[in-house]
Amino acid sequence: MSRRYSVASFWVLVMIYGLWLVFTRVAVHSELADLLPEGTTSTQRLLLTQVRSGVAGRLMLLAIDGGGPDELSDLSKQFSERLRASGHFTLIANGAQALDQGDREILFQSRYLLSPQIGPHSFSTDSLRQALEQRLDDLRSPLATLIKQTIPGDPTGEFMTLLSAWSGQEGPAKYRGVWVSRDRSKALLLAETKAAGFDADAQAAIQQDVRQTFASLVEHAAPRLLMSGPGVFAVEIKQTIEAEAWWLSTAAATLVLLFLYLSYRSITLVLLSLIPLSTGIMAGMLAVQGWSGFIHGITLGFGITLLGVVDDYPIHLFSHLTARSSASAVMDAIWPTMRVGVLTTTIGFASLLLGGFPALSQLGLFATVGILTAAVVTRWVLPIFVPNDFLPRQIRRGFSSSLERLSGMKLLIPVAVLLACGALLWSHTPLWETDVASMSPVSDAKKQLDQQLRQELSAPDVRDLLVIEGQTEEDVLQYGEVLMPKLERLRADNTIGGYDLISTYLPSRRMQQERQKSLPERNVVKRDLEIALRGLPFAPGLFTPFLDAIETARTQPVVERKVFEGTALGIRMASLLFEQSQNWTAVVPLRGVADRKRLGEIVTGWNMPTVAYVDLKEESNRLMTSYRDRTFAIVMGGLLTITLVLAIGLKSIRVLWPILLPIMSALVVVAAVVNLLGESLSLFHIATFLLVIGLGLDYALFFNRPEGDEEARARTLYGLLVCSTTTILVFGILASSTIPVLHAIGITAAIGSFCCLVFAGMMAQKELHAAV
Amino acid sequence: MTFGKPLSSRRNCALICLFVLLECVVRASVAAAGPEWTVETLLALLKDQREPSVGFEEATYSSLLTEPLKVRGMLRFTPPATMEKSITDPFHERYLIEGDKVTFESERKHVRRTISLEDYPALRSFVEAFRASLTGDAVQLHKVYEVTMNGTRGKWTLLLRPKETTGKSVLDYILLTGSEGRVATIAIRSTDGDRSVMTLLRGAAR
Repeated sequence: MSRRYSVASFWVLVMIYGLWLVFTRVAVHSELADLLPEGTTSTQRLLLTQVRSGVAGRLMLLAIDGGGPDELSDLSKQFSERLRASGHFTLIANGAQALDQGDREILFQSRYLLSPQIGPHSFSTDSLRQALEQRLDDLRSPLATLIKQTIPGDPTGEFMTLLSAWSGQEGPAKYRGVWVSRDRSKALLLAETKAAGFDADAQAAIQQDVRQTFASLVEHAAPRLLMSGPGVFAVEIKQTIEAEAWWLSTAAATLVLLFLYLSYRSITLVLLSLIPLSTGIMAGMLAVQGWSGFIHGITLGFGITLLGVVDDYPIHLFSHLTARSSASAVMDAIWPTMRVGVLTTTIGFASLLLGGFPALSQLGLFATVGILTAAVVTRWVLPIFVPNDFLPRQIRRGFSSSLERLSGMKLLIPVAVLLACGALLWSHTPLWETDVASMSPVSDAKKQLDQQLRQELSAPDVRDLLVIEGQTEEDVLQYGEVLMPKLERLRADNTIGGYDLISTYLPSRRMQQERQKSLPERNVVKRDLEIALRGLPFAPGLFTPFLDAIETARTQPVVERKVFEGTALGIRMASLLFEQSQNWTAVVPLRGVADRKRLGEIVTGWNMPTVAYVDLKEESNRLMTSYRDRTFAIVMGGLLTITLVLAIGLKSIRVLWPILLPIMSALVVVAAVVNLLGESLSLFHIATFLLVIGLGLDYALFFNRPEGDEEARARTLYGLLVCSTTTILVFGILASSTIPVLHAIGITAAIGSFCCLVFAGMMAQKELHAAV
Repeated sequence: MTFGKPLSSRRNCALICLFVLLECVVRASVAAAGPEWTVETLLALLKDQREPSVGFEEATYSSLLTEPLKVRGMLRFTPPATMEKSITDPFHERYLIEGDKVTFESERKHVRRTISLEDYPALRSFVEAFRASLTGDAVQLHKVYEVTMNGTRGKWTLLLRPKETTGKSVLDYILLTGSEGRVATIAIRSTDGDRSVMTLLRGAAR
């Protein structure tokens, strides 16, 4: 008796200490970026870094919808002013002004180092003559006043060349100086947040502020604000996950408890079954916290649902309780069977740890620790709390015989498997999911809005990139200069529609120095200019500022990237060239790629090892696929290990068949049913196979367990039915989730659990009972 | 096409001038007029008597130059909203305004570029005002310009000074001279003192 009390009080103390740790130490994160994998190749790492913190991720697309065009353009101007003043953004663009005075000043001062036209013959007599004649044409044209001011200092037009390079991209349509949609029903703005796109909390605060700012500008209700972009998606995803995690877990918990109560009509039983569950959840949380330093909200929500499986353990205990045996004695009797089940399920979940996918690793650890703890608590703690006279509801005799009939339908299994194989072979739905986009929990309406705004803002979702890598910034810029004429050729023959290369804006140090060297001395330019000016009506001495500028440019320091820091030019540069793990990387977004395969071949043909073509969509799909294959291998490895453990645990190969065969058959049928429902198998379906295997083992082991008499067998079967129904309930609820990942897990586990139960029941063999 | 503000407003102004020019020039010939000689009467006259095309000679005087630059060419107007200035001598260049679109073509510079009037709000509001005046309604013109008319029906001058700051910053005035419903010269003076004088060559188009 005293041992019982000491165990009980020890458990209570551990629970109190554990709960204290949970409330004081455990950090629950909700950043989606924390769940992203590291990537296995350098391209994947680049892609993921860009997703986490890149400029593309910080883009916010805004539209003011509804109202007359004049009202919209006024609103756009006021709104952009207020947003700039808010301090949340590094850039607000609404079409009004591309380059500010500071930027223009830098470009003008450095025109002889930056302009791509500068070469050894730029200031020859012939070139100068040609340029001067063009300037005369300019003065004759209606646009004279536009150009006149720059002529004395820049007769060769370098500044204009730079300006048009910087504003070369076609922007959206404009009305009264601001961007509008083609039908002028919307004013359009583009913003770049300081916070990373994946920082959902920061993004939520910014979006809240943006909405309030907008509301304060609009007196009546007509114009409304539309927002899109990665940050907006991140917030939506987070809110969806939080909302669903709450209602899913509440619904699941309520249903399971209600079902348990209805099945056994005992509140005591319901409370007792909570003992292993709560201990398991607590242990899982603490383990994940200790391992990764935080637990992700998704791991927590979903892990708790997964651990609902451990409710099977107390149910096994209760279903074997009789008036004659104590709880401890029953536990001793069923432990060997349970132990094998626990061990194999744990192996299944533990293999998730090897996947290298942080989201799944956390889940694997949570489940492994949780299950082991719950099993240990069921074995040694739970029986102590079971009251001596506690006896669950009597089970109707003959219950077992109705289930016995199941085994007569054994032949249905091969039929089902054959049908499933046939369905998989002839199905129009692809077996494997290769499109990452289908895993996105963002609603279709939001995706459509995003597409529409991107199209109108000419800010397409970047899909095609060239990536230039180098040891230093200078290396990358020099590679970029080699690349530029090649890209120009591709554009000329329409292989690509356009490109955005850092070298267009910032020449390498070497290039600038070469240009400096090619600038002639003052007296040489002066002489050539005088020759070139012969017979032209320019005022005498007009071009002194030009001579001064060349003189200055010969010795001025080369233009570096940091000169542009904090300006609109600087922001553009930072998105195209950045340092990443001690290397420098330039990304070159390509527009209008006609034939991706051909482009890939052309880029390979350049034979530049530092330049790579990346199809982001293809690459992220490949990332997902590689993790899926890895998970698949792990599941197979797990299955093999489980088989070995079983063979050793059961000390028989023969008995393996009625246990393993139903599970394997169930997996095939699940795959077929999921496919028939129009879904393709993803990483998450595959990972759930492990869970199905674990559940199936548990059922099969207990189905094949020798029972004393008919009544005992009826109780076991009843217990199994309760177990599987709770499981199907929990995962059925999960399957109704709008989050594709949770839906995938839910539907796989629910169907799998059902198939495992039926198949295991059909294949249960009385004659083998003795073996277990 | 995102040039900076100072430049774009200068371009606006250039285009404004072009517009004034085109609009005024293409109305010609004598008309029966009302008894009173007012700005409204003149505009109505210009509107009713416009010609599809007319030749011109233009001289540009600039502080950068020691002598004026001269060009010749043709102005055309096709109702309702297409206007064209094409230079034929000493080189070929063409400015075509269709609705909200301005197309610039230069043979010598191998350039063909299209810009939208929507990029230049000041210009656009002016164009609207001017188009309104095409229908004989001078109210819009008065909105954008201070309009002063002098002289007699047989020999008048019409002085336009911009009212809005965007216009004022680059354009000093536009001065038209003419007789009856016919424009003889258009002088445009910018704030820095440079000016261009366009003389319309009556009968050249016939």
